Amino acid sequence: MLISYDWLNDFIKLPKTATPEEVASKFTKHTVEVEGLKKQDSQWPGVIVAKVLAVEPHPNADRLRVTQVDIKSEVLTIVCGAPNVAAGQLVAVATLGAVLPNGLEIKESSLRGVVSRGMICAEDELGLGDNHEGIMVLNKNAKIGEPLAKYLKLTDVVLEIDNKSLSNRSDLWGHYGLARELGVIYEAPLKDYSELLEPEIIEGEESLNVKVEDTRLCQRYLALAFGGVEVAESPQWLKDRLQAVGVRPINNIVDLTNYVMLETGQPLHAFDRALVDKITIRLAKKKEQLVLLDGQEKELDEEMLVITDGEQPIAVAGVMGGKDSGVSLTTNEIILEAANFEAVSIRKTAAKLGVRTEASMRFEKSLDPNLAEIALRRFYSLLKQIVPGVKVISKISDQRKFNLSVEPVSLSLDWINERAGQEIPATKVVSILERLGFSLTNDNGVLSVLIPSWRAAKDVRLKEDILEEILRFWGYDNLPSLAPMASLIPPIRLADLDLERKLEDFLSGSLNLTEVQNYSFVSHHHLKKLGLGESAYLKLANPLSDQYDYLRQNLAVNLLNNVRTNQFNFSRLAFFEIGRVYFDTPGIFDKAGDDNDRLPYQQKRLGLLLASKEDLDNFSVVKGWVESLFENLFGKNWEPEFVVPEDLSSYGDPSQTVRVRLNDRDLGMITVISASAAKEFGLKMKAVVAELSLVEIEALLAVCPVHKYQAPSKYPAVERDLAFVVSGGMLYNDLRKEIKKFNPLITAVELFDTYQGGQLGEDKKSLAFHLSYQAEDRTLRSEEVEEIQKELVKYLEEKFSAQIRNF
Amino acid sequence: MKEQLINFEKTFLVALELVKTSKELDDFEHRFLSRKGELAELMGQIKNLEGETRKEFGAAVNKLKSELTLKFKEAQSKLSPVKNENLISDLTLPGKKVDVGHLHPLTLVRREIEDLFTSLGFMILDGPELESDYYNFEALNVSKHHPARDMQDTFYVDKKNEDGDYDLLMRTQTSNAQVRALKKYGAPLKAIIPGRTFRNEATDARHEHTFYQLEGLMVGENINFAHLKSFCEIVGKKLYGPNTKLRMRPKFYPFVEPGSNGEYTCFLCAGKGCRVCKGSGWLEILGCGLIHPDVLRAGGVDPEKYSGFAFGFGLSRLVMLKYGIDDARLLMSGDKRFLEQF
Repeated sequence: MLISYDWLNDFIKLPKTATPEEVASKFTKHTVEVEGLKKQDSQWPGVIVAKVLAVEPHPNADRLRVTQVDIKSEVLTIVCGAPNVAAGQLVAVATLGAVLPNGLEIKESSLRGVVSRGMICAEDELGLGDNHEGIMVLNKNAKIGEPLAKYLKLTDVVLEIDNKSLSNRSDLWGHYGLARELGVIYEAPLKDYSELLEPEIIEGEESLNVKVEDTRLCQRYLALAFGGVEVAESPQWLKDRLQAVGVRPINNIVDLTNYVMLETGQPLHAFDRALVDKITIRLAKKKEQLVLLDGQEKELDEEMLVITDGEQPIAVAGVMGGKDSGVSLTTNEIILEAANFEAVSIRKTAAKLGVRTEASMRFEKSLDPNLAEIALRRFYSLLKQIVPGVKVISKISDQRKFNLSVEPVSLSLDWINERAGQEIPATKVVSILERLGFSLTNDNGVLSVLIPSWRAAKDVRLKEDILEEILRFWGYDNLPSLAPMASLIPPIRLADLDLERKLEDFLSGSLNLTEVQNYSFVSHHHLKKLGLGESAYLKLANPLSDQYDYLRQNLAVNLLNNVRTNQFNFSRLAFFEIGRVYFDTPGIFDKAGDDNDRLPYQQKRLGLLLASKEDLDNFSVVKGWVESLFENLFGKNWEPEFVVPEDLSSYGDPSQTVRVRLNDRDLGMITVISASAAKEFGLKMKAVVAELSLVEIEALLAVCPVHKYQAPSKYPAVERDLAFVVSGGMLYNDLRKEIKKFNPLITAVELFDTYQGGQLGEDKKSLAFHLSYQAEDRTLRSEEVEEIQKELVKYLEEKFSAQIRNF
Repeated sequence: MKEQLINFEKTFLVALELVKTSKELDDFEHRFLSRKGELAELMGQIKNLEGETRKEFGAAVNKLKSELTLKFKEAQSKLSPVKNENLISDLTLPGKKVDVGHLHPLTLVRREIEDLFTSLGFMILDGPELESDYYNFEALNVSKHHPARDMQDTFYVDKKNEDGDYDLLMRTQTSNAQVRALKKYGAPLKAIIPGRTFRNEATDARHEHTFYQLEGLMVGENINFAHLKSFCEIVGKKLYGPNTKLRMRPKFYPFVEPGSNGEYTCFLCAGKGCRVCKGSGWLEILGCGLIHPDVLRAGGVDPEKYSGFAFGFGLSRLVMLKYGIDDARLLMSGDKRFLEQF
């Protein structure tokens, strides 16, 4: 929003030392963010007053003229296309290097063989109006060589305010509201706005036919008809004001409605009385059409509030008037509308129509219904000034159904000081609130504060709101900084977050993996390529694109996508990711306090990825990662088991996929991506993914006993090597388990060699183990060991048909 | 025989004495120590002997062999320290390459801040990323029709409730965990909540639909604005050094009252104005304020008895500022060229 410094000064008497820069910085500190500051006299740099000395036809172009122009310092040759250029005129010339508001930079250029060194400007080129009929001709009293801004007496300074910082302050959408804030900042007297209003409106005879059908969406509708209206160009002061804040002048009536809006924040609308006999405010009917003032034709729907003439819509309430009922040059009677519309409805309507106007922006902030009357009276007092023959020809129609009576808010000065962390003088508190328009009584340090309607309408309701008023004007920067006192109680630590940190350290520090963070979303294209049906996946209602339209149920898909995007730059990738996956089944978090209504399940997982150009037995490497990770977490308490799963993932190689189990719980899986899935997904690397549930790991950690130290035996171990030939389908896991539990004297079983096929025969393999035999209380005798081993071989032969293999 | 050995030893040592270059050393080795060299020939004689003589001579030859080999090794090491010497002698050559792991820059910065707050007795909390409309908006005083709830700003999950409305969404702020934390732990409470957040906006160098925030809150008796200020200063000094200054000015957030922003003097130019701070000398980092009584109440905390402050900032943005990352999309790109720099 643009704010005129001159305009603010209509209402507030600032100290002589105040400057626009200072005002801007104080606004930013106490009220709203000023984003920029523009001085009008530095507008149009390089555009100066000049005199046309001579005009001659262009030798090579019928429509162009070649002019000689005096800019005081020199005489320039300028090629001009305007039909109205004539010798002797005083004109505005953009000299070389000037940049016009439309972005045009003036450069020396050759126009059909004649070099032109500047441009004689038309109004529209300077952003001064629509006129492109010809060049702008200045008054005789213009001084050759002076900047155009100076000639136009443009000395105002314009503050650019961040609209977002105004979103909760409907009272600041006009100059008077901001002037009120300045009154507090500078402790300067603010003009009483009621002095600017028409004190008494002498009503006319006629009763306007106004009916509000929806009093929730339209709490107040004031209408008043004026006769003797002469629609004409606005006086210069009015045009200057509007132009300063970026509003295009149209005619005196429209300009005045805009002027009052920019001053008070209340949008007004004028209908041509001759075209509007009756006013009904209702919701639009489905598919009703309306051509707006700007010529756009819009289709309406049943949620949009419209103003109708009893039959047809003539305006979209609070957004824009209709073309057919608007003020034109032939209008001589108007009906002025000053209304209050419900904020949400206006915002939705404006958004749906794609028409966001100065009016809709204000209504959607929730305006004070009292403001409508103030704006109407201000309009009348100004209308009388600029159209002297104007007369009120109707009674005031005031349809109202609102209740703003608010209870006074009670708060004590002690409470204010407690919350501030510092004592703020009572006189300062009272001064801030009173200057803001709050009325209050002070009963022994307890304030009873009445909120003015323009603040009650939107942002002030509680004592905390009033506290903010006091603190922001006192200045946040003036408040002390104090460290709070608190009891020395160690904070509760959440086990899952502790686990995550431990994992991050181990994976990056010991296993040398790189941490990656991927989106929570996956593309259904990717799911499809990996043979995953998206039907069980939660979908976004409004995804940005079909690249990220479902919520992930595994980390694998995006990890594999990491392979795709990195595979041309690296020959090996070793990544881990800790992140959530989302399922369409009730989880642990409640939705809104009701334990029976729960959010979808969101499980944290650990994903591991190893990919390389050559297959370097990645599967075993990832298995090794998982084993060492578990040893790190659980000590030697439990050993993981790797089990061939019953149902396989759609993208895993069935011969190289295992589920990971620990202490009889399933933690996840390790899988080599199948060649077909890799091809479909565009992977040029051999990839292995492991995915483990952090919830399960955390649950195991919670019950995992501390590993107690075991003193090494004082007696030596006897080492024996044994190799068994078993069927090809026999699992190492099963064989090892049997050996391990066969006799308590067998203290370690370690695989050192495997061999398959060859002379063993097709369906056979050999597994070779180092066995350690050791007793706590004695040195084992060789015969003792031989005895156990003999029994073991016999047992395994019976159980698995395992044959001892001779080296 | 014995004499033969003594002569051989003498010849060997004299010849070795004369060796001065590595070429000469090679020749020497060839003459005495090669497979068909003189020492081998001497040893070959053993097989022609028998009985006690064979035993004695064999032992003497073997003893001599090990002594002379040692002498040769000594000479060799004097002349040319070790084989492949030309590779090792360049000590400036790189060491053997070892793969190292990398933590994500978001993790690194998150931990710095977590450690700071843990040291001050704060809990570290977490909340659901897929959140209800209630905890993300309503409980935080963001009314049903607030523009922030528009479809264009928030990712909704395509699952309507009984009233036919979308009420599941990807959290737009870590503040969603405020009311959850208050409900679970009550007052007094000191906690920070780092986490992943989402906004439905097209990505470009400056915008990313998935990013990280960090929220902090402290609730207790008589917690006030001056306390908030001290924490804002602590955070600034942690991030940007002990000389960092804080500036606060009013800013509206529905879940705090009074509400404020927090700006720090730019770490690059120390307040003089530069490219990073767009010439202002200040970086706007924080949103903060005293927790709105409606929010305390939603968390089951009596606002007449307790008060609190809350602050939040964009963790992703801090990471970008700290490491000079100029494209927001890199953080979630999974690009190893990016990740391995941290």
